[in-house]
Amino acid sequence: MASERQIAANRRNAQNSSGPRSGAGKKRASGNSYRHGLSATMASSAQRAKSIQKLARKLAGDATDVVILEYARDAAQAVFDLAQVRQVKVALIERMRTFGEFDASVTSRTTRQTISDEAIGMSEPAKAEVAMPSTEPERSDEAVRQALPELLKLDRYERRAATLREQSARIIIGRISQFNNLKMHSRKIVQNEANLFSFFQ
Amino acid sequence: MIERIHLPKSLLPAPRLLVTESRDEFDRLRDALDDEIKPRGIIEQMFVADIAELHWEILRLRRCKAAIIKSEFRAALADLLQRLLRKPGDPQEGDWIYSTSAEAENLAKEWFTEKAAKKQVSELLGQFHLDDSAIEAEAIRKSAADLEKIDRMLASLESRRNRALGHIAEYREVFPRQLRESSDRIIDGKARALEHKVSKTPSAAA
Repeated sequence: MASERQIAANRRNAQNSSGPRSGAGKKRASGNSYRHGLSATMASSAQRAKSIQKLARKLAGDATDVVILEYARDAAQAVFDLAQVRQVKVALIERMRTFGEFDASVTSRTTRQTISDEAIGMSEPAKAEVAMPSTEPERSDEAVRQALPELLKLDRYERRAATLREQSARIIIGRISQFNNLKMHSRKIVQNEANLFSFFQ
Repeated sequence: MIERIHLPKSLLPAPRLLVTESRDEFDRLRDALDDEIKPRGIIEQMFVADIAELHWEILRLRRCKAAIIKSEFRAALADLLQRLLRKPGDPQEGDWIYSTSAEAENLAKEWFTEKAAKKQVSELLGQFHLDDSAIEAEAIRKSAADLEKIDRMLASLESRRNRALGHIAEYREVFPRQLRESSDRIIDGKARALEHKVSKTPSAAA
């Protein structure tokens, strides 16, 4: 157990290392826990953000309810996240089909990409040269086979996005139904008032 | 009559296929699902698009599964022949001097092209009360690790596809039911108002 003096020294030393101070340092440190970005929601491009917004508006219909709008945005985001994971899967198979291994293009990739790939085990030690068939569809099938460990890892992200989309869709449907009920009720009240009015006439 | 709403496909992200896969075939699959499920509204369309992509991936993996077994056939046959051709006193598998016998290798190679080799293999298998299915079994055994991974992925994809179908069914059941309940209440309200009116009318006439 640390002594009183040691604790005091630790506290003193901690004052001298309170993390990055410059803007650049803070920005760099913000990516410390970055692995591959698939578990984060990424509005990486303006075009993507616009597409998500467009889909969210369509999902919400003519609703102005904040809850519906929020869940519509979640569902739209999940739809695009799902598409992104599937694109990564296809890209991995294509890479394997072209190079016969995952590490062939390492030199052309950025350090971050390499680090993130290592983090999820995508750049495991290069597999022994795989005898890739030269004809299709055998070559593509073999590429899928070689990419299986990586595809399996991506499955988790796909399931996560699918669950988020389903939950959001369920809430949107529930909320819209509630609103329709309310509309029906108010229409019913108006109708009853009209009936009463015609009765007293 | 159910009205189908056609929404612009650009609202949903376009699926990316392998270079060797046919876009036309994928479109045909999606259209067939569209015709069968007849999505109404963007939420149903979102699920139908997902079902199409999941189904496509399931087909890709099933194809790959068959290809994996097929690709192991020759090695499986060579291994099997090696064991069948082994004589007492020969080195065992795992011995440092153990190597695949040239005879087994050649026979396995010729099995794919030569009728005589096929017959010879069948006879050899027959001596041990085996048949061609023993080769397939060995091929499956050799590729078990990869097949297990594919099965795990297939199970996950199939469960997601079924869930998506379930969501459409649930949506169709819940949404109209709530509307029906609402309209029932309106009809009840109207009926009560009318009953009230009818019961009042004679006394008013009197």
